[in-house]
Amino acid sequence: MKICAELALDSKDTLNQFLADIERRAFRMAKFASGSADEALDLVQEAMLQFVRRYADRPPEEWNPVFYRVLQSRITDSHRRTSVRKRFLAWSGRMDGKEDQEDPLQSLPDPANPNPSDHILRQEERTALEKAIRMLPLRQQQAFLLRAWEGMDVAQAAFAMGCSEGSIKTHYSRAVHTLRGLLEDIRS
Amino acid sequence: MNANDREKRFLEKVKDLLNEGVENLDSQTGQRLERIRIKALEASKEKRSEFFTPLRWIMVGGFATATMAAAALFFWLSTSPGDLPARHVEDFEIITSEERIDFYQNLDFYRWLATEENGEAKGRTT
Repeated sequence: MKICAELALDSKDTLNQFLADIERRAFRMAKFASGSADEALDLVQEAMLQFVRRYADRPPEEWNPVFYRVLQSRITDSHRRTSVRKRFLAWSGRMDGKEDQEDPLQSLPDPANPNPSDHILRQEERTALEKAIRMLPLRQQQAFLLRAWEGMDVAQAAFAMGCSEGSIKTHYSRAVHTLRGLLEDIRS
Repeated sequence: MNANDREKRFLEKVKDLLNEGVENLDSQTGQRLERIRIKALEASKEKRSEFFTPLRWIMVGGFATATMAAAALFFWLSTSPGDLPARHVEDFEIITSEERIDFYQNLDFYRWLATEENGEAKGRTT
């Protein structure tokens, strides 16, 4: 009985550690797709709840692709709903085009960085990259982030996105091509 | 530097920039994410205790009853009177009578025998 309780505690700690490791990246991915911090938090919450309810019993080595599969599915659903809503609002003439404002604190210089010009340059690069990623079509964006950032191989990314490996290769290659074109400064 | 190296460097830089974006996430968002995680972990605990809730028992009971009813209906329909071997009134007479089944199997023979015997008896009398 004691061993069971210890195992349960251990598995809860492992799950907590896993979720803590991915929550920020998951949030950023959701925000790239939705463009809204609040919506991104909702998406991460829905994904986490669904993940722990349905898939937490799976072996921990499977958690990463499974979690991203749940998250990507939520993002795709939300994207579809938002597209329909936008179309309706555009049709009814009530579109105000207001997007989430960036946190002003984020633009303050980092006191740990001794060279403010480096900091500003780096921040500009980051802003340009994030803007370019947001401009990608959703599937390309997802494939790129899973492969280039999350470090998944083609098979894992295909599982996470629920599509074929060939589609992943196509989406990823197009995304890299587009980003390289948009981010000449970063490339150099 | 060839194209592959350039692409590799580009992707490494992209990854660094994305990681910086995560590290520089504001504290408010960080706290909200932590609350979401704690809520999810609590849901994982509830999941185990929720397995035997009254609602689940009602659902299981309802499913079992529906299955039993479907099975009973199936058996009742598959053994309906239309498929019984005894479809006619004569058949019921055979089943319910106390005679041996051999008698009914050789009934034609007994009928013929009876007519023969009746014929002979009539011949003798005339």
